[in-house]
Amino acid sequence: MSSKPLYVMLCSGEHEKIQLAAMVASVAAVSDRPVEVFVTMNAILAFQRGKSPAERYYGGHFHEMFKTQNVPDAVELFGQGKMLGEMKMWVCSMVLDIKHWEWDKDLTEDLFDGPLGLTKFLADAENGELITI
Amino acid sequence: MAERQKIDARGAFCPGPLMELIAALKLASIGDEVDVWSSDKGSAADIPAWCAKVGHGVVETTEHDGYWSVVVRKAK
Repeated sequence: MSSKPLYVMLCSGEHEKIQLAAMVASVAAVSDRPVEVFVTMNAILAFQRGKSPAERYYGGHFHEMFKTQNVPDAVELFGQGKMLGEMKMWVCSMVLDIKHWEWDKDLTEDLFDGPLGLTKFLADAENGELITI
Repeated sequence: MAERQKIDARGAFCPGPLMELIAALKLASIGDEVDVWSSDKGSAADIPAWCAKVGHGVVETTEHDGYWSVVVRKAK
């Protein structure tokens, strides 16, 4: 596995895609690989503060199976990646503006490092590998 | 004196067993061993691959009836 930083752009609000992003980001982070995640578009809805896991996710073939089986919660996986590895999570400043949300009041507590613009994220990502989900 | 603890992560899906192992290793001392039990089929390959990447030792990997036991020694 490369030790180049991994940049994950998470756009989809589908449960299985958020789950995949959480798995990729957390496993890379605990494998001594710096990770930065940029959450934008529909994906931001899963991170709205106060939502229960049952309200947070929708969509994708595996959605119901994730809910009924012992699959790690995606938001908790992101948190574990931050706690056990080197990982930062950014929220797209544009979607925050459109939703009239504030990152430190309307999103899951103790998960995000702040808002970020796409230009800065893409500039930083030139130093590593970027995947978009 | 080195100790060995067991983590029963059977029933947890990827990457749950690995995350439980890593959390236990964080609290362990160098030389201690963690025996993680996992029914996730990927763990038997994933956990040794993770150990090789980050520099911990794999003492043994054993297949039991419906689960794997992977013993990891904390090396750093």
